[in-house]
Amino acid sequence: MSKEKKSFSRRKFLQRGVIVLGGSVVASYLGCSPMRRFTAQKVESMDLPASISSLKPDFWFEILADNTILLKSPKIEMGQGVWTGLAMMAAEELEVSLDKIKVEHANTGSGLIDNVNTGGSSSTSSLYGPVREVAATMREMLKAAAAKQWNVSISAVKTENGTLSSGGKKATYGEIVASTKEWDEPKTPTLKPKSAFKIIGKEVKRVDLKPKVMGTAKYTLDSELPDMLYAVLVKSPYLDATIKSVDSNEATKSAGVVKIVREGNLLAVVAKSFYAADSAAKKVVVEWNTPNKTQQADLIKLVTVGNGKEANIQKEGSAKSILKDNKTEVFRQEYRTPMATHAQMEVNGAIAHVEANKVLIITGSQGPSQVRDVVAKAIDIKKDTIDVHTPLLGGGFGRKAAPGLAAEAAIISKIVGKPIKVYNSRQHEFQNGVYRPNTHHVLQAKMTKDSKIEAITHDQATPDMYVRNMVGEIGLKLLGSDFLSAGHGASLMYNVPNKSVSVWNTDVPIPISIWRAVGMFPNTFAIESFINELAHKAGKDAIDFRLDMLTDKDDKIIERSRKVLETLIEKSGWETPKADGVGRGIAIGNDRKSIAAAAIEVEIIEGKIKVKKVTNVLDMGQIINPEGIKAQIEGCVMMGISATLYEELTVKDGQIEQAYFSQYPLASLSDVPEILSFLLEGDDVPYGVGEPPLSPIAPAIVGAVLNLTGKALRSLPLRLS
Amino acid sequence: MKIDFKLNGKPTSIDVDPAMPLLWVVRDELKLTATKFGCGMAMCGACTLHIDGEAIRSCSVPVESIAGKNIITLEGLSESEANLHPIQQAWMEEQVPQCGYCQSGFMMAAAKLIKENPNPTDDDIKNGITNICRCGTHPRIIKAIKRAAEINNQNH
Ligand code: FES
Ligand code: FES
Repeated sequence: MSKEKKSFSRRKFLQRGVIVLGGSVVASYLGCSPMRRFTAQKVESMDLPASISSLKPDFWFEILADNTILLKSPKIEMGQGVWTGLAMMAAEELEVSLDKIKVEHANTGSGLIDNVNTGGSSSTSSLYGPVREVAATMREMLKAAAAKQWNVSISAVKTENGTLSSGGKKATYGEIVASTKEWDEPKTPTLKPKSAFKIIGKEVKRVDLKPKVMGTAKYTLDSELPDMLYAVLVKSPYLDATIKSVDSNEATKSAGVVKIVREGNLLAVVAKSFYAADSAAKKVVVEWNTPNKTQQADLIKLVTVGNGKEANIQKEGSAKSILKDNKTEVFRQEYRTPMATHAQMEVNGAIAHVEANKVLIITGSQGPSQVRDVVAKAIDIKKDTIDVHTPLLGGGFGRKAAPGLAAEAAIISKIVGKPIKVYNSRQHEFQNGVYRPNTHHVLQAKMTKDSKIEAITHDQATPDMYVRNMVGEIGLKLLGSDFLSAGHGASLMYNVPNKSVSVWNTDVPIPISIWRAVGMFPNTFAIESFINELAHKAGKDAIDFRLDMLTDKDDKIIERSRKVLETLIEKSGWETPKADGVGRGIAIGNDRKSIAAAAIEVEIIEGKIKVKKVTNVLDMGQIINPEGIKAQIEGCVMMGISATLYEELTVKDGQIEQAYFSQYPLASLSDVPEILSFLLEGDDVPYGVGEPPLSPIAPAIVGAVLNLTGKALRSLPLRLS
Repeated sequence: MKIDFKLNGKPTSIDVDPAMPLLWVVRDELKLTATKFGCGMAMCGACTLHIDGEAIRSCSVPVESIAGKNIITLEGLSESEANLHPIQQAWMEEQVPQCGYCQSGFMMAAAKLIKENPNPTDDDIKNGITNICRCGTHPRIIKAIKRAAEINNQNH
């Protein structure tokens, strides 16, 4: 290392007070324990066998010279507002206003990145303890340092809005950091009680609001490296296609083209601009082998209860034998959800710069550490030479939990020797993606004479959505089926004496991934639709029918669910008379301890279902950012309407049939209903908000149509005839 | 081919393939990245900007067709950060963006809408803008457009 470089990093070391902290005293605190605790908590909350990283953080927080605090977020901001939530928690304990906290993503080269993707609505809840503890520790260290300098007791030092004071003495955090050389190791500080919160739970502006309104927010496609070239991938619209032959003569002659890269089945045109690469890519003539001949009917047949491997995941009483006893009638229904795509607005893209012993990757991913692993494998390089930077994500919804294009960018960059930017076309996103798989559900029940459910069973057929990614093939075999992601929400929460739930796992010849709310979405649709049908058949009010099955007073989830439904009755005007032509429906779900319910009013206008009003009640425990939670609820309502009324992906001859937005309509402004959202704090810790409100939407719409027309629709997207 | 036009008030000149879509000229050649790529086929509205006051999907406009015209992107919508366009003011007030990716296109479409229709109803807005937002910010977009119209009318 040159002398100059050394002194620079030493200066940096001194200026960045918290690196000093991070490097010495707090290193173990910052580095290991909160991370371990957080991953442990995550595993606990998700019941998932998670692969846990021991990546070494450089720092988590940094007090900058201008007295602002940099928070390097280990969780990825994709619109859900996690940066704001984390900043609020930190500001609360640091005693600074929210605008003093600057948030950016940690990078894998030096950040506190976790090996578990950002997803599962778990970021804020899993970091609620660790972020506040670390922030409180920093505050106490600053107080102790100031006390020492001023020769007063620690308790005589006050902190307010980024300033320390005692008597007439005053200094900013930045000043104390600059003038402190040795830091005393703090005791674990006590965290503020809820009653003392000044920021958590209060109205704030999201921290990424202004750049997103001014157009200065940077996404992958907006990022650049000096001397960068653009690559456009040539892909087959068919799944699993391999290259038979390539004729790139015309393309090579096209303006601005630098190179045509072919590496196995990776075919790319590299040029000086995206436009040049894209124009040339259209001139490449490829003959493809298309071994995948899957038809839609094959998929439906494969994903059918009774097919594949069964794993019983819930059993109370003797539901199966009661259903078979021939004494009373069995009510049996089948439900189907279609294959779907994420259609996030920002296509996948990546920038890679591969040098001899250094790789820089810039890509919007929900799992930067997995991107690093994939790149390491793709270009056969050590993981610790790779630094993955994550710009803001233009939507994720699970799509960016898959590796994206970082490996492709790295392979091309290695061959060409320059930084490469590559991104998908929209057609690539549709046809060369990973998809929410179709599911099939069989529900059966027997009722007692007084119209209570005596026995109920739910059989779900589904491909693995994510477990294979987490625990591998062997893990999946051991588990029996993917009841953790695809089967999430398959269990029955109601207090029914006899119940049994099975997940039937089948593999499909389609690339599968997670989609917002994962298994909760199809399972809640099927179960809650069935419950609505049972209530309808029994001539009972849909909410009363549920309340009669939420009776276990010792079960906190059940008690919170009751409260949610009771609130929904009041807030939605459930018991007020309906206008003519209006149907009302309801559904509820427990998504990892967040309880979400929706009451929905629909009309049928010109033969089409129109959602008029959605009342949401969400008990997500401790509220961090109320406005942010409401935004997530609204987003879930819109995505829920979209998935219920419009979205369906189909396959023909091994090709996803929908290639453009025009073939895959999404909910738009014209679908916006009246939306009311009410938040309940049934607990002192925060649970997820990004997914739970989504799942009740589909079954509540179906329930409303049933209420209006007497017709039970059991297949998504809903079709009236 | 050399093409002259005005970009956010500034005379601009560019020498590129005349068929190059305006979106790529703005983003890759002139480095203004607020205008986004979402589909490249005039189906999503992420690339909406103003050409002589009209809201246009720039991914489907060859740059040769804008010679002599006046282009405004989101970067040029407001006079300054201190003096925000009513649309951006309202977008801040209502906290519209989630991921933010579609927002530039929506704001440009909305700015045009309130210029033409100073008092839009919900239905005017619902029928007037067909851009796509996957995060589901639509309810806030409607509120913000109505708020922006209000601010606009107060200013005049
Ligand atoms: S990118 Fe132009 S409309 Fe989608
Ligand atoms: S805010 Fe994410 S797509 Fe609209």
